[in-house]
Amino acid sequence: MMLLTHHPSSHLCLLTLLSPPLSSAASISPAEPISQAYSLALYMQKNTSALLRTYMSDKGPFSDPELQLSSLPPATAFFKTWHALDDGERLSLPQRAFLALTQHLQLVEDDQSDLNPGSPILLAQLGAARLRAQGLLGNMAAIMTALGLPIPPEEDTLGLAAFGASAFERKCRGYVVTQEYGHWTDRAVRDLALLKAKYSA
Amino acid sequence: MALFAIFQTTSFLTLLSLRTYQSEVLAERLPLTPVSLKVSTNSTRQSLHLQWTVHNLPYHQELKMVFQIQISRIETSNVIWVGNYSTTVKWNQVLHWSWESELPLECATHFVRIKSVVDDAKFPEPNFWSNWSSWEEVSVQDSFGPGILFVFPKDKLVEEGSNVTICYVSRNIQNNVSCYLEGKQIHGEQLDPHVTAFNLNSVPFIRNKGTNIYCEASQGNVSEDIKGIVLFVSKVLEEPKDFSCEAEDFKTLHCTWDPGTDTALGWSKQPSQSYTLFESFSGEKKLCTHKNWCNWQITQDSQETYNFTLIAENYLRKRSVNILFNLTHRVYLMNPFSVNFENVNATNAIMTWKVHSMRNNFTYLCQIELHGEGKMMQYNVSIKVNGEYFLSELEPATEYMARVRCADASHFWKWSEWSGQNFTTLEAAPSEAPDVWRIVSLEPGNHTVTLFWKPLSKLHANGKILFYNVVVENLDKPSSSELHSIPAPANSTKLILDRCSYQICVIANNSVGASPASVIVISADPENKEVEEERIAGTEGGFSLSWKPQPGDVIGYVVDWCDHTQDVLSGFQWKNVGPNTTSTVISTDAFRPGVRYDFRIYGLSTKRIACLLEKKTGYSQELAPSDNPHVLVDTLTSHSFTLSWKDYSTESQPGFIQGYHVYLKSKARQCHPRFEKAVLSDGSECCKYKIDNPEEKALIVDNLKPESFYEFFITPFTSAGEGPSATFTKVTTPDEHSSMLIHILLPMVFCVLLIMVMCYLKSQWIKETCYPDIPDPYKSSILSLIKFKENPHLIIMNVSDCIPDAIEVVSKPEGTKIQFLGTRKSLTETELTKPNYLYLLPTEKNHSGSGPVPCICFENLTYNQAASDSASCGHVPVSPKAPSMLGLMTSPENVLKALEKNYMNSLGEIPAGETSLNYVSQLASPMFGDKDSLPTNPVEPPHSSEYKMQMAVSLHLALPPPTENSSLSSITLLDPGERYC
Repeated sequence: MMLLTHHPSSHLCLLTLLSPPLSSAASISPAEPISQAYSLALYMQKNTSALLRTYMSDKGPFSDPELQLSSLPPATAFFKTWHALDDGERLSLPQRAFLALTQHLQLVEDDQSDLNPGSPILLAQLGAARLRAQGLLGNMAAIMTALGLPIPPEEDTLGLAAFGASAFERKCRGYVVTQEYGHWTDRAVRDLALLKAKYSA
Repeated sequence: MALFAIFQTTSFLTLLSLRTYQSEVLAERLPLTPVSLKVSTNSTRQSLHLQWTVHNLPYHQELKMVFQIQISRIETSNVIWVGNYSTTVKWNQVLHWSWESELPLECATHFVRIKSVVDDAKFPEPNFWSNWSSWEEVSVQDSFGPGILFVFPKDKLVEEGSNVTICYVSRNIQNNVSCYLEGKQIHGEQLDPHVTAFNLNSVPFIRNKGTNIYCEASQGNVSEDIKGIVLFVSKVLEEPKDFSCEAEDFKTLHCTWDPGTDTALGWSKQPSQSYTLFESFSGEKKLCTHKNWCNWQITQDSQETYNFTLIAENYLRKRSVNILFNLTHRVYLMNPFSVNFENVNATNAIMTWKVHSMRNNFTYLCQIELHGEGKMMQYNVSIKVNGEYFLSELEPATEYMARVRCADASHFWKWSEWSGQNFTTLEAAPSEAPDVWRIVSLEPGNHTVTLFWKPLSKLHANGKILFYNVVVENLDKPSSSELHSIPAPANSTKLILDRCSYQICVIANNSVGASPASVIVISADPENKEVEEERIAGTEGGFSLSWKPQPGDVIGYVVDWCDHTQDVLSGFQWKNVGPNTTSTVISTDAFRPGVRYDFRIYGLSTKRIACLLEKKTGYSQELAPSDNPHVLVDTLTSHSFTLSWKDYSTESQPGFIQGYHVYLKSKARQCHPRFEKAVLSDGSECCKYKIDNPEEKALIVDNLKPESFYEFFITPFTSAGEGPSATFTKVTTPDEHSSMLIHILLPMVFCVLLIMVMCYLKSQWIKETCYPDIPDPYKSSILSLIKFKENPHLIIMNVSDCIPDAIEVVSKPEGTKIQFLGTRKSLTETELTKPNYLYLLPTEKNHSGSGPVPCICFENLTYNQAASDSASCGHVPVSPKAPSMLGLMTSPENVLKALEKNYMNSLGEIPAGETSLNYVSQLASPMFGDKDSLPTNPVEPPHSSEYKMQMAVSLHLALPPPTENSSLSSITLLDPGERYC
């Protein structure tokens, strides 16, 4: 298997050329926000399986793990493609995903508070996951600012499609959201680890 | 009569004509066919809703009609339901009717048609059914929207145990669709190529978030679509239990019930069941906000009877319970208050309380409970508003808890809650004398009495015991008595009394007063009665003791013992037994297996003097011995040995030692007499001998073989078994002749020693006899003569005075030191400083006498340093022929020849290897007798004894190099009578 490698100095040169020379953002070292984002992603990763486990134990079995929501981008990617991503893509894809996830987690939280208000543990875990996702968004924005990359605008990924779903659909989307939250967290850890290694020097 | 007949006929004709008219009218308008049939659906309820009208009805007329409805599924010919619906139909009325389908309406197209018939008493038979209306098709599949798989019903609410039909619609018949209920696949019935239905019978309640059912459409292994539903299964609503209402204060009725299972479901599909209280006399209704209680306000003082209905309701079911009661019969009082105690003393107190007033002239029944000392007393009392009760027969210094509850005395319904308070009675003087016993030990001139007493029980102490007074009265001298005050909680004291009779009283005191005295008398006569100790067997429950009654009057018996043998003070115990009892069982948890307990039984005379009756000793449970004796092997002979273990104590064992087992191992297969074969725990065989007497602590093992190897092991045994297994001790019997040798050798050694002692004692005599002292030439006067001439290197000697004897040539390698023994030491020193001396030694062989032989040394001028360094040293015996050679040796050549010759002779005489010195010719000194005669001719010129040259022949030329040993061995060449200088 061939792995594409990127020399950090070439990226830095490129960034220097692309960024405005007097930009204050570019003068900030990206290492610190990357490190902070990486730490947060690692912390999130420790709790994703617990969230999914709580969700499943409360809602009963679902079958196919390949259930997907069209409003949520999938975290899976071909390794070669993923590895070849430039910094902008590497940050903007999870940025968009976590933006969508924060909205979906809020939706699931609403669903669950409606389904079973007497389940405080799941509701607390969902709320905590949403807040951490928002925190990671902020950290990623700081990295993008430090690297002089444009921050993707906030979008309403759910729109009106969220309403009128059946109980089964709501259960399923809760399952998909909690699962995708885990997948995207795993991916963010990998992305940030790569960036951390790149900008640690 | 005729008039009546005419009237009757006319009336009949009139009625007939009217009926005929009506029939004609209906006949004209029939059939009354249902028209404008419209069918709508309710997916949530899975119902078809029909509405229609009936044409041709007379204006403002009502008719009872029957409508027959037919419902087909999928196709019109597949009629699945037919039923009649009877109703009264008005002119221009729109009729409604609903039908609920077990199959979700989304899964199949339904067809409905209807026909009718008049079923009214106003119209006689026959009636005819109208024609069927046209089929009305009902289909909701058009509203599915995009997708290839759909599952119904969505989010349906059903009750646990009901039957449910679910179905899916697959738009692609090539897809393989599998459906799962909570992860387990279910199998259904295909209604058409697109639709399959699943009948779920008696669905269970799984969780309040619903049961998950989903279907997956796939082609091959590729999942095309997944769709699912949640079936909300509610628990069956239960009827409220234990519904009752009661009044606390005639203002509010408090109704309670047990609601049973909560039927709430998630996602607001069904909230918890609601409860409504309905009172039929007043017609009032109240929705209860709590699920298990509700308060009803009493508004009308006049209403005493109430009829309540409690209705529990959820989305699926309604249940109700009813109670009818009189308000005055349901009075549940509030708990009493202001509970107090007055005039509390040692044995009684007055308890007071108050009750919340209900109505005037109301009588209350109150119940009092008194808890104290693990007991409970209950009293009932009838009161008005203020309650009071006299509590008597209380125990002093005791904490009590008293509580009270009340109820309506006229119509008892229920006790109120308890109200209580604690109180403590005052102390009183101790009611009983302490139980006292003693240990008396005799000492010269004294009794040492250790008094023990047991603390008074709480029942008898009547308060906290502060101290004990011990009064000692001398019965022989009544005027003298002593008082010892011993503070609690001590339970013993030691008194040293003289040999008089004493009465000792022990009195317990608390803050209020003193207890009766406990009296014990110590007799002036010592307890010198010898009592045989009897062995008894205990059990796990204790010791069963019995004794012979004491002659004469006794007031009782006392058995004492010690729980802990280590600490008498803390472990001393006793038990009082009545005068008519001569047996008792001593049982206590303190008894331990393997510990010997000694019991003494005393009789108490009327004068309270104790007399030791019996002693008993035993174990509650005997154990096997904890250790084995240390065995000594005595008198080991070739045929026997003796084993002894005199030091083994049989008393300090965890059981009565009954004897010993002696195990003996030998190579012989047969056991010795008295021994029997035994198998050890490790499976090996040996011989065993049993000693039944525990005091027999020695055993002679005989009939053994000489020079044989034996192993033995001795272990004591009790009734519980043997001592611990240990290693065998090894013994080897000696040789049979060794003893004989000892018998011979020992006298021999003794004799030798005796001779040696004798020799030592007579050494002077022997010495004088055998070894007279040899004169030392250095101490002779000739030395002074030499000094006088100031030539230390020349010794002039008159040869005629000497008898030529021998010359010792000292030739020593540099650095080698010659070892001389005894008297030769001084010579050695001389030799070291004067290495070139030749020593002229007399030989005893030339003397028939045994007198001392003088020794004279000459300087050897012919020696060179090389010769002297050759380190040869020795004494060579000179041939007795030497004097005859004297004349030939005056010239150096002759001397050399003579030396060579003598040397060769010497070699011929002396065994090679033993000699280390060469020979030198000598002249015998003519001197005899006393050495003191030497200085007689000190300055006489020598005649022929002056040596001009002597040749020393180095030994190493012909012999092996001299060594220290060889020089020593050279000494052995000398005759025993030779002397060294």
